[in-house]
Amino acid sequence: PAASLSTPSSPDALPAAAASPRAPPARASRRVASPGPATARAAPMGRGGARDGAAAAPPWHSLPDEVLEHAFSFLPAAADRGAAAAVCHGWLGAERRSRRRLAVANCYAAAPRDAVDRFPSVRAAEVKGKPHFADFGLVPPAWGAEAAPWVAAAADGWPLLEELSFKRMVVTDECLEMIASSFRNFQVLRLVSCEGFSTAGLAAITEGCRNLRELDLQENYIEDCSSHWLSYFPESFTSLETLNFSCLEGEVNFAVLERLVSRCRNLKTLKLNNAIPLDKVASLLRKAPQLVELGTGKFSAEYHSDLFAKLEAAFAGCKSLRRLSGAWDAVPDYLPAFYCVCEGLTSLNLSYATVRGPELIKFISRCKNLQQLWVMDLIEDHGLAVVAGSCSKLQELRVFPSDPFGAGQVLLTERGLVDVSASCPMLESVLYFCGQMTNEALITIAKNRPNFTCFRLCILEPRTPDYVTRESLDAGFSAIVESCKGLRRLSVSGLLTDLVFKSIGANGNCLEMLSIAFAGNSDLGLHYILSGCKTLKKLEIRDCPFGNKPLLANAAKLETMRSLWMSSCSLTLGACRQLAEKMPRLTVEIMNDPGRTCPVESLPDDSPVETLYVYRTIAGPRSDTPDYVQIV
Amino acid sequence: MELELGLAPPNDAGSCGKRRSAEAFGVKKPTLPLFLRDDDDDGDHGNGEDDTGDARDCEISMGNKRKRLVGWPPVKSAHRPRSNSHVKVKMEGVPIGRKVDLSRHASYHQLHHTLRLMFPSTSHHGDPYAVTYEDVDGDWVLVGDVPWEDFVRSAKRLKILLV
Repeated sequence: PAASLSTPSSPDALPAAAASPRAPPARASRRVASPGPATARAAPMGRGGARDGAAAAPPWHSLPDEVLEHAFSFLPAAADRGAAAAVCHGWLGAERRSRRRLAVANCYAAAPRDAVDRFPSVRAAEVKGKPHFADFGLVPPAWGAEAAPWVAAAADGWPLLEELSFKRMVVTDECLEMIASSFRNFQVLRLVSCEGFSTAGLAAITEGCRNLRELDLQENYIEDCSSHWLSYFPESFTSLETLNFSCLEGEVNFAVLERLVSRCRNLKTLKLNNAIPLDKVASLLRKAPQLVELGTGKFSAEYHSDLFAKLEAAFAGCKSLRRLSGAWDAVPDYLPAFYCVCEGLTSLNLSYATVRGPELIKFISRCKNLQQLWVMDLIEDHGLAVVAGSCSKLQELRVFPSDPFGAGQVLLTERGLVDVSASCPMLESVLYFCGQMTNEALITIAKNRPNFTCFRLCILEPRTPDYVTRESLDAGFSAIVESCKGLRRLSVSGLLTDLVFKSIGANGNCLEMLSIAFAGNSDLGLHYILSGCKTLKKLEIRDCPFGNKPLLANAAKLETMRSLWMSSCSLTLGACRQLAEKMPRLTVEIMNDPGRTCPVESLPDDSPVETLYVYRTIAGPRSDTPDYVQIV
Repeated sequence: MELELGLAPPNDAGSCGKRRSAEAFGVKKPTLPLFLRDDDDDGDHGNGEDDTGDARDCEISMGNKRKRLVGWPPVKSAHRPRSNSHVKVKMEGVPIGRKVDLSRHASYHQLHHTLRLMFPSTSHHGDPYAVTYEDVDGDWVLVGDVPWEDFVRSAKRLKILLV
């Protein structure tokens, strides 16, 4: 069967693009309401029986479902499964019934019940809610993205669900209780940038999920109800592989944690919170030397040589440690305790660490196998120069601002990025906050690293020009998109005119996500983007002089995208109304400051729109908008 | 159109990002401030009526417009300098207090919205109320007088008074 699948004998056979994981998502993924009875064999598959003379292989369209489903199980990428489902009704049915993993990138793009009905065998689901800019405070509280309808629908239709992941959603304690009581074999809970729950909800999970393997809490806002959620893991419970509670503010019972860690011999990932002091970290490590990933929590302790010795010995026992993170208000004197694990580290996240200076740099320089480095700009240019020389396998670099609002000096310039991009041949993903930039630097970076897939540059002061020539940074960013043909994600900053968007529109042929702030000078800028960038999925724009015309002229484009965010631009209500009328499968949301509750129907067309959020959906307008959001 | 941002050459380290001090803007040479920090202390911004001029016109004719810069630079609150930004909130006449995390809000508007959600007592709906906070000196001050970031750092707890 595998062989015959790869020899298409008719135009209706699998498109070649299906083999590539980068294939654009198939249209079939939106045919949620499709009936497609299992036995429909309507589509002409062509005569598959090209084997003249030999025992005839079954024609394509009468392959039994089990064979199809087995074949599809070799297509892990959702895009490929979507492409297979688009072939014919038979394949559609077989694919959707056997789909095990479902990723819903926008919780409002489809109704939960429809998703559950369409894919009845899902074992792992991921749902994302609020727009990305919510991370930076641009979305007021109570906007929506409640997880409850998804949990309810899953509880109803996916009793065998094993994994659930929510990102930027409101997850309540009731949701967690429902999860704990609805899925017999629940194993993985991942909550990223969520809010709305407390430690009481966590207690429901730890008590009720007997087969839990992963409890991964990343950057959530968790209300501390002082309930001893960790204690609710039964003494007989040993299946934990991942425990991440780094975002929890409150105390945990250390004795309980220690016993848990001792008996869970498969524990690979342990990320502690700030409440765990350094000496306790050492004793945990002695209980779990098999750890692959460790988040140390708070590190600030005065230097004591016996504690240093304890730590050093504990780390020496961790031969499998590959990933390290933590909120290191570290006393640099402790860093050498980690030296023995440096060589094995592939990932180092010091983005919460205010440690700086030569000890930091010495530490990182020993991590010769580092693939992923997240660090504060306290590392400065000369620190990055050392990284460039030491970490030849680096693939991803993120440098965060230590003093984002301050009037401090420029710690980090373009030099650091130039050095790293020159010396790290595998570098493909960058997030870089700095104080200044030049076109020359960007052009050099582009020439050195055509293999970038993600390039996000944030010059801290909006509209900053090339500090040498005083020109815009159009030339520099153009060089990036021209050189990096595989670029999927781009964030631009600094002084930029419409011309850079012309270049991005023309050259960004793989671009999926674009973030723009304080850039451009006219409608043309937006028009270039929307009329180019063939694979664009998410576009987020703030504080740019883009108006109504390019939006309306490219309305159809928006249906090929997941979402568009525009805030503090030059949009008016009339255009949004037109857009909504023209494109019924888009939801057009406008948002005003909370407190201004003027109903939108009464406002004239030329009223300015502060924030526009548009997304495609097959579910129609949502019914849970707060008073400051209006759907046009 | 060309911008004059007045950034000094690179070796003048002090010139970048002087956002806080109003005197610094005044003292600098002819260039006008690009923006001022988010301060909602005036009526312009308070009722969202500023957008007839400002929000509509995003031309880069900066300097004579006061703009709020919410959410910039784009760092998650987790990556911002940590402070214990949870403060207790009590409302006059309501026995149970709440807690609110100021660092998860980006403006006074958002804070007021959250407070209204937390204390939705129907009998006071629409009645004027005043939100006050206790600052570092122990004084009770009306909320809204200082730039948002300064308020987050100095507020110890909140009290909602009925006017």
